[in-house]
Amino acid sequence: MATGFFTDTTLCIGCKACEVACKQWNELPSDGFQFTGDSYDNTSELSGTTWRHVAFIEQMSLDEGGLHDRWLMSSDVCKHCTNAGCMEACPTGAIIRNEFDSVFIQPDVCNGCGYCVTSCPFGVVDLIEKFDPDGSRYNLASLVEARLDEDKTALQGHGGVAGKCTLCYDRQKIGFEPACAKACPTESIQFGDVDVLRERARKRVETLVGRGVAGAQLYGVDDVGGGVGPLNAFFLLTDRPETYNLPAQPVLPSTRQPAGYSSAAIAALGLAIAGWMIFRNE
Amino acid sequence: MSDLLEPPGREETIPTPTYYDRPMLKMPHWDGWNVVTYLFLGGVMGGLGVIGVLTNPKRESDRKLKRTLAVTSLILAAANPAVLVTHLGRPERFLHMLRIAKIKSPMSMGVWGLVLYSGAAGMNVLRELALSGVLPRWMRHLAPSLFAPVQAIIGAFIMGYTGVLLSATANPLWSSGKRHIPVAFVCSSMGSACALSNLVSTLEGNTEVTHKLERLEMLASAAELVALISFERQSGAYGKALFSGAAGDRLRTYTIQTGILAPLALNLLGAVVPLPKPVNALRTVIASVLTLFGGYNLRNTVIRAGRVSVQDPSVASVQPS
Repeated sequence: MATGFFTDTTLCIGCKACEVACKQWNELPSDGFQFTGDSYDNTSELSGTTWRHVAFIEQMSLDEGGLHDRWLMSSDVCKHCTNAGCMEACPTGAIIRNEFDSVFIQPDVCNGCGYCVTSCPFGVVDLIEKFDPDGSRYNLASLVEARLDEDKTALQGHGGVAGKCTLCYDRQKIGFEPACAKACPTESIQFGDVDVLRERARKRVETLVGRGVAGAQLYGVDDVGGGVGPLNAFFLLTDRPETYNLPAQPVLPSTRQPAGYSSAAIAALGLAIAGWMIFRNE
Repeated sequence: MSDLLEPPGREETIPTPTYYDRPMLKMPHWDGWNVVTYLFLGGVMGGLGVIGVLTNPKRESDRKLKRTLAVTSLILAAANPAVLVTHLGRPERFLHMLRIAKIKSPMSMGVWGLVLYSGAAGMNVLRELALSGVLPRWMRHLAPSLFAPVQAIIGAFIMGYTGVLLSATANPLWSSGKRHIPVAFVCSSMGSACALSNLVSTLEGNTEVTHKLERLEMLASAAELVALISFERQSGAYGKALFSGAAGDRLRTYTIQTGILAPLALNLLGAVVPLPKPVNALRTVIASVLTLFGGYNLRNTVIRAGRVSVQDPSVASVQPS
């Protein structure tokens, strides 16, 4: 069964329980504290060791009716794309699609080449720079069976394998819902069968539009275009995607390969023919 | 602040076009000398294989060049995995890439290209050594002549795949050059391969091949220049990270002026004006070194500009098709 997240940002209260639950369950190390001044967002972005990130957007406007303000909050996460750029790029086969249709990185196979990092159209996946930054151990796999011994993995203290949301593969295996969804107090993060969630998302946006909620729109429920397809973790937004740092038009990187390879082939063939004439016709 | 207080209609409240100007995409981790060196040496290595199959076996100087090419390409084929390993951290990590072959991943295809190229290059060195009498002559039967075209075909692939690898990412700059970057890399690789083989041949005293290699080098460099100019014209806002500011200066000064135009002028001079032998050799050496430097700098600038490119969220939202 394909499972995923429906993140309904209209219900998010910005409590960051999802961030904390994710860090705790997956034993992800602290990223340190940085005071950004960007509203209440001191997490800033998803990273190799931050798999949920709550964005805070403060909006104010003035018109005849007076001052309007709204505070948008949204918990971002790996989209678990139908056609995942990271998975296609991975040269080791470390990134797989598991039985829950989630995109999963096998940390003991990953070699830290960094190609997935540049190939994610959403800027989600990143390398885990340091293996053990504060002496708090990172369990690498978030796998319930046999915790991987760090010495037996590709890491061996070198750090630098890729990390991102596993959609709590280990919890799903024993029938639990992912930690973030479990911890969410407002059901802004809903976990379940993606088909059921999609239906729910469509009804919800209809309701909101009916109530006159400005800008209510779905992101990733249907094909996002560019060859990426629908997302297994989709969102209900109330503003343009860019406002939440989501790309308005993501593109699956591998779709550019035919143009690239054919152009390269034509150039190489042209030079080879010219070279042949130079070397053989004298 | 002013646009925050502008009165939008009820329908549109769009005061924040970006999210605190934070990058939308992740920064590439390819910033060290090793990735740049790998991209450069891989391209040169591939080009050497292609030139090898072009040489005329009826001519002694070409046969000598072919031997030089075989040995040089094998040395580079041995060096390249080592450079990659310095990037990955540990040798085992290179082997992780050999557990699968994935058509859709240019990196996977490139690694297999590198491995197969090394095999073909080894066989060609064996053949050349047997033919030239360094090894017993019968050993040439172990390495049939078929391996030369095999090495050339894989070499042609290696010249271009690094460009495809970069353009098949979400990076705004690299992805906007889905045709231009591969073409520029192929041409630069061929030009640099001519320059390197010319350099080695000149040092070996095999100067009969000089003008042939230089003609091919001029052609490749001119094509590279066309590709770069066309890239600048077509990439628009996506190409800003490469063509403006410090990166643009570096590209224009080191790659275009020093690495393309200066060697072009020197090579034209050599083709037009008959120079005394030692002066001509010096001219060849200088032109070759400049071309190689330009080729290295092309990779260096493109890679570094890719890191700048992701810092601008405005070009990351609508990604090039």
